[in-house]
Amino acid sequence: MNSLMLASLLIPLAGFWLIFFTPNNEKIIAVISYSCSHIMGLCIAALLYVWATQGYPHHEFEWFNLYATDDYSFPVLLYFDRISAVYLGCVWAIFSIIVKYCRIYLHREAGYKRFFLTIFSFVFGLNIVILSGSIDILFAGWEIVGMSSFLLIAFYRHRPQPIRNALRAYTVYRFCDIGLLLGSWMSHLLFHESQHFSQLADLFNHDAFPPAGYASLLLLSTLIIIAASGKSAQFPFCFWLPRAMEGPTPSSAIFYGALSVHLGVFLLLRTTPIWTYEYFTRFIVFFIGLLTVIIASVSEKTQSNIKGQIAYASITQVGLMFIELSLGLETLVLVHFLGNAFLRCYQLLVSPSIVAHLLRVEGSADTDFHINSTGRYSFLPESIRNTLPDVLRNTLYVFSLQEGNLELVVRASVWEPLKRIGMRVNTTNLWIKAFNALVGISLVFIVFEVLDIERKYVAIPISIAMVLASLSAFGQLNKPISVWNAITLSSTLAGIAVLFLNPQAKPDVAIFLSGILPAWLLGIMVLFRMLKNQDAAESLFTYQAMAETRPRLSLLLFISFLGLVGFPISPAFLGEDLLLSHASSHDPWFALPITIAFIINGIAGARVFQRLCLGRPTELCGEHGRIVVSEISLSLKRKSDHLMHGSKPEGKLET
Amino acid sequence: MVFNTQKSVATESHHSAAQSVEPFNLDETIGHIAHWLPTQGPIKDFIHHNTLHAVQHLPFHEGVALASKMFGARSYMPMEYYLQMYLQGRIKNHGIDWALNRTDTTKEHQEQLKLAMFIQDKNSHYPPISLANHGIRNAWAKKLELDLSTLVHPILFRLLGNFLDQGISRWTLPKDGESFWDCVMRLAQNSLIPLYPLQEPIVRKLLTQTPDQVIQICLDKMVGASDLYEQYLLEMLLAHPGWAGMVRIVEETPRSLLDPRNISLKQMIAVEILCELAFVHKYKGENFANIASIQLTEKTTLLKKGLPSPEIPLILKLWHEAMEWSLHTELLTALKPEQQKAHKPQTKPNVQAFFCLDDRECSLRRHLEEIDPNIETFGAAGFFGIDFLYQGLDDAYPVAQCPVIITPKHLILETGGEKPEKDSKADDISHMHFKSHSFLRGWLYTQTLGIGYAARMVWDVFRPGSKLPKLKSLSEIEAHSQLHLLRENDTPTKDGYLLGFSFTEMADRVGGLLTNIGLTRHFAPLVVIVAHGSSSVNNPHFAAYDCGACAGKPGAPNARAFAWMANHEEVRRILFDRGIDIPGGTRFVAALHNTSRDEITYFDNHLLKQHPAEGLAKFQKVMVEALQRNARERCRWFELAPKSNTVEKAHDHVTARASSIFEPRPEYNHSNNLYCIIGRRKLTRDLFMDRRAFLHSYDPNTDPMGNIMVRILSAIIPVCGGINLEYLFSRVDNSVYGAGTKLPHNVIGLLGVANGVEGDLRTGLPQQMIEVHEPARLLIVAEQSTAILDKAVANIGDLKEWLDNEWVRLVSSNPATQEQFLYSKDSWEAIDLPTDYASPSAQSSEDIFMDKTETVPVHHLQRNHS
Repeated sequence: MNSLMLASLLIPLAGFWLIFFTPNNEKIIAVISYSCSHIMGLCIAALLYVWATQGYPHHEFEWFNLYATDDYSFPVLLYFDRISAVYLGCVWAIFSIIVKYCRIYLHREAGYKRFFLTIFSFVFGLNIVILSGSIDILFAGWEIVGMSSFLLIAFYRHRPQPIRNALRAYTVYRFCDIGLLLGSWMSHLLFHESQHFSQLADLFNHDAFPPAGYASLLLLSTLIIIAASGKSAQFPFCFWLPRAMEGPTPSSAIFYGALSVHLGVFLLLRTTPIWTYEYFTRFIVFFIGLLTVIIASVSEKTQSNIKGQIAYASITQVGLMFIELSLGLETLVLVHFLGNAFLRCYQLLVSPSIVAHLLRVEGSADTDFHINSTGRYSFLPESIRNTLPDVLRNTLYVFSLQEGNLELVVRASVWEPLKRIGMRVNTTNLWIKAFNALVGISLVFIVFEVLDIERKYVAIPISIAMVLASLSAFGQLNKPISVWNAITLSSTLAGIAVLFLNPQAKPDVAIFLSGILPAWLLGIMVLFRMLKNQDAAESLFTYQAMAETRPRLSLLLFISFLGLVGFPISPAFLGEDLLLSHASSHDPWFALPITIAFIINGIAGARVFQRLCLGRPTELCGEHGRIVVSEISLSLKRKSDHLMHGSKPEGKLET
Repeated sequence: MVFNTQKSVATESHHSAAQSVEPFNLDETIGHIAHWLPTQGPIKDFIHHNTLHAVQHLPFHEGVALASKMFGARSYMPMEYYLQMYLQGRIKNHGIDWALNRTDTTKEHQEQLKLAMFIQDKNSHYPPISLANHGIRNAWAKKLELDLSTLVHPILFRLLGNFLDQGISRWTLPKDGESFWDCVMRLAQNSLIPLYPLQEPIVRKLLTQTPDQVIQICLDKMVGASDLYEQYLLEMLLAHPGWAGMVRIVEETPRSLLDPRNISLKQMIAVEILCELAFVHKYKGENFANIASIQLTEKTTLLKKGLPSPEIPLILKLWHEAMEWSLHTELLTALKPEQQKAHKPQTKPNVQAFFCLDDRECSLRRHLEEIDPNIETFGAAGFFGIDFLYQGLDDAYPVAQCPVIITPKHLILETGGEKPEKDSKADDISHMHFKSHSFLRGWLYTQTLGIGYAARMVWDVFRPGSKLPKLKSLSEIEAHSQLHLLRENDTPTKDGYLLGFSFTEMADRVGGLLTNIGLTRHFAPLVVIVAHGSSSVNNPHFAAYDCGACAGKPGAPNARAFAWMANHEEVRRILFDRGIDIPGGTRFVAALHNTSRDEITYFDNHLLKQHPAEGLAKFQKVMVEALQRNARERCRWFELAPKSNTVEKAHDHVTARASSIFEPRPEYNHSNNLYCIIGRRKLTRDLFMDRRAFLHSYDPNTDPMGNIMVRILSAIIPVCGGINLEYLFSRVDNSVYGAGTKLPHNVIGLLGVANGVEGDLRTGLPQQMIEVHEPARLLIVAEQSTAILDKAVANIGDLKEWLDNEWVRLVSSNPATQEQFLYSKDSWEAIDLPTDYASPSAQSSEDIFMDKTETVPVHHLQRNHS
């Protein structure tokens, strides 16, 4: 069973690398992806069979231990139970349908290989999430899913709108990662060695001894719920899902119709013992579900485009799943999940038929519902009967049109203030900054020496500086190199702060920085080469399409970006986890600034990458490119230019 | 029109400089601006037209170059494309020489140019700096670091989409007859939740004004210099040409929507510019720098100095012309007399078949004649001369069944023998997935039936060819119904249409078509009228696959009407008086060719029972074989089709294609279009033209005054020329002129498609329709003398512009001497065909196209006429 689990986990990864190393040849890619989906199907079927013959056990398996010190270990844990079985089966079914569908649907598309690569990495991430045995591993899968989402939304990188929406979705993902990152750290803190999913249920079985205090349990539950509602587009994050429908239709179907959107539900299912322990958190989940159902079903009414309508219908159903979860109807949720996943996937796949359907089959040209049933308001006093309902109607319409104002609220309450601080930091003169820093540092040292406070509180000003550095990266719109520097500065400060907090953590900091610093160096080198011929007036405000004009550098920049943000391919990912769990085990407050800094760094980095590499090249970009034209052609060109100007109106000469 | 000539603009701006305050006339300005917007109507009817109609008054290359400076699009294909074609031998040296000769420079320069043509230049092909992307609005936005388009577009598109929506959203936005401006103001002023961003204080003050005043005030605040107003508005609209164009269409022809809406471009501009002002205020405060106050770089195009004077990329232009001429000479050589064998006089045909002039019918006609030489085929515009509005049994509303240039006055209804049971509101299980949106019903559906969709999806994806019982495809139209054709009284319907035709009107139409195609004697006992349509699933652009001459509908009603009329004794009597004698034994039979599935349906079989048509059974057999061969010929274009295919396998493949939900290319449509030949069939009967030609039948001897030619040209130039240029420009720059790839398209309000949820409407053709197209202009060959053509051309009105400016090319092929002349604005140019090129020949079509994946030059077919 263990090897079958490993096989189902790793086959998508194998497929990914196979496709990565094949030339861009549709036939070979199709063969690889077919065989991967078949083998994966076999493995999953065998796995389910073995699992069933063993009597449906809750199976846990520790593959190997990635990193261990005396008081910390990072085991790679896998876990399989009923929930994994349902999700895994569904993933395979939809994955194999989509692979088959896309073989022909994407035929001759420029990004054929890119598309399959992303789909495979997505499924790999999903499998990690589904088979993970602890929150740490789940987080790794979560990140991979998020990154492939980002790439698939921005699949059509020539147009600014998919790029923007990719960033929008990525921001929400990243923001909700705060929940998961802190959650995984808290579970370390609370349950120590026992953060295995397999042991969660037992932990909470003793009614008399809750495994942690009320407050910390509440906090942990809230964090998990934030993570879940972000990924599942629940209140207040409903707005990103319809806007994510930018990639090819089947990718929208698999991501946002079927699988990705149900990951939040999965997370809640996995951590049921934690958040159902208190009735209050159950109520939060119920309430989120309810609000989502209301807002999404009202928003859906005024969606004049078919994909948006399906997206909101899907969000509504996921909201219902949240309600069902809070009521403890686990089996119902699983059935509901399967139904919704298949239905929405199918709806999205056939969504282009809507024109023919409405015009030819149904023969209806108009909508069936106006919000103006005058009879309904006859109970109102006559004087306001004609005005009040009108106001209410308009209000309802505007509410629906603006999708509950959720995006505006989130933007105004979270992003705008952060950006403003960042811009403030950036507009401050460099010397003033340096001066302030010097004064600050000396002041701190004096204060510390004089008052003889414990050394570790130096970490407080350092972590403030760290957050400021991140914000400065976030607010920077013009200079990609300073963004990269600010991100690195922020990460380095995080390391230094940890050293102050816990001087024994040196190896951990080393691991963390061994991921960050090379990535930074690589990034700076690439950026210098990219911007060498850059027109100073060209700010990051425009998309510069380097993925097309300079593909190799763009790939390197992407790798550097992944390293800087602690993607699970870089040691920084482990380092992040280590810093959090190790350094802050005694100083819980530190977890907040460091997480915020990580999250914001990620967003700032993604934006620079987008601005530089994506977009459609125009003549302007060409001018900065390497124009190597031989002598002859130059002179000829000049002559032909001359010719053309000499005989300007071509049309007249054609008689 | 200010944009028309550079001079007029220059003088005007000079004028304005002298007179510092020139009143800004909004209505006039909107008129000028609207000229640059695409004119593609709602997606339910797809009408091909010249994408660059805005610059049609200029010579082709100048127009294209100007448009590229305005829209930021490419003008030609990349250099590698032409070089590749040269290496494949498709562009020939004589083509290059011809193109060089037309530059009219010295021989020495031409030699140098020729050298330059072979130097790779990868950078020359990026789209140029343009008004749409690098104008004053963008310069300003960059300066303010405020991307106005990003902020305003989602809001504007949502409002427009919901306002114009034809049936997707559940709640309808406008009240009856309410205008867009009033509607937005209602929401902004009379709602408890503010309509973002119109809650800004500065904007609230403006809400009571008229759109005119609002635009003026906003322009004053944001632009500040009245000579830049027009440019600002133009740039604002060019940032979302799709929606702007749609609004203009709805404003000018409200009938293009089924559920009409009251909207105008001015109202849209007012809402948009109001939102812009709100955002500028929100982010930059009261005292922002307006456009007049910022320093514009030298690169910024300024319209007040006149239209940008574009540089035509000379090398690419030469390559393009060389390609076109190389391809054109392939046909012209094949049409030359010395290579045409002496014809055996054709025996009297057993069957005559009328087809649409569509290029997709070109190969089917060839296969029919190849199998049975006693079949004679004719081509005409696919509405067969009968213009009407048609409402079928299942249709909710009548649709026009004729080219867009004609406004029909007659309404034809379909009446059923037994009316099929139809309860549209019942939840038909096969379509339930479209309805399960509301949350309670949705909850029930997803809980119970959701998993069933897994099975349905597996079925659709893995067994596409086999159909579920409930799905009805195009070719299975109820054949039991009748058309109500004869008018019983002359009172018009409440929409002002006449219900049906009188006998004289019928005779006018039938006689008109027969004269056009030159068939007034020698009728065969069986005449089959073959209309065409195309069936596909999961395809919002389905209308673009149907008959272009029927305004994007299947032509079946027209064929049925024609057959009924031509069979009617009364009509034949009137025709006899006019000199067209249709023998009593001749029967007309209507049919529909499904171009994607390659299937045929015959109509009105119950009428055939009363009057059996001689030889129909035999014809049907031949037709089946011809359709299979046609399917095989089409398969060579599909990379994923079975390679060593039998005709049956090929036919199965095209059928599966048309019924798969994952197939974005049910067929390649007009992808091959290049030629148009107006003349007798004997001119082209022995040619293999690779589905590239629109074929219109015409008898030069019956048209001494050129009147018939006038009629034909006025249909062919906009329809075929429109198809050709739309394919050409969509291919040249698919992301600006075309609709981009189909894969991420999202259907918006039944109006059109957009990328994602908040994108602009995409106009033009999607990549999957044009990817194998060779973008060359249409060559019309008319079998008529230059003298008569001159008379005809003088009478085609505005369409002459297409010929004069070379948006299409016209060649006269003299019916007597076979001499060829190329039309140019002032004269006819004698054509020197290359001496080193002769048309290849082959025994049969299969010998030519098997195993070929690229276009094939025109071949002679040397068949033995028995």
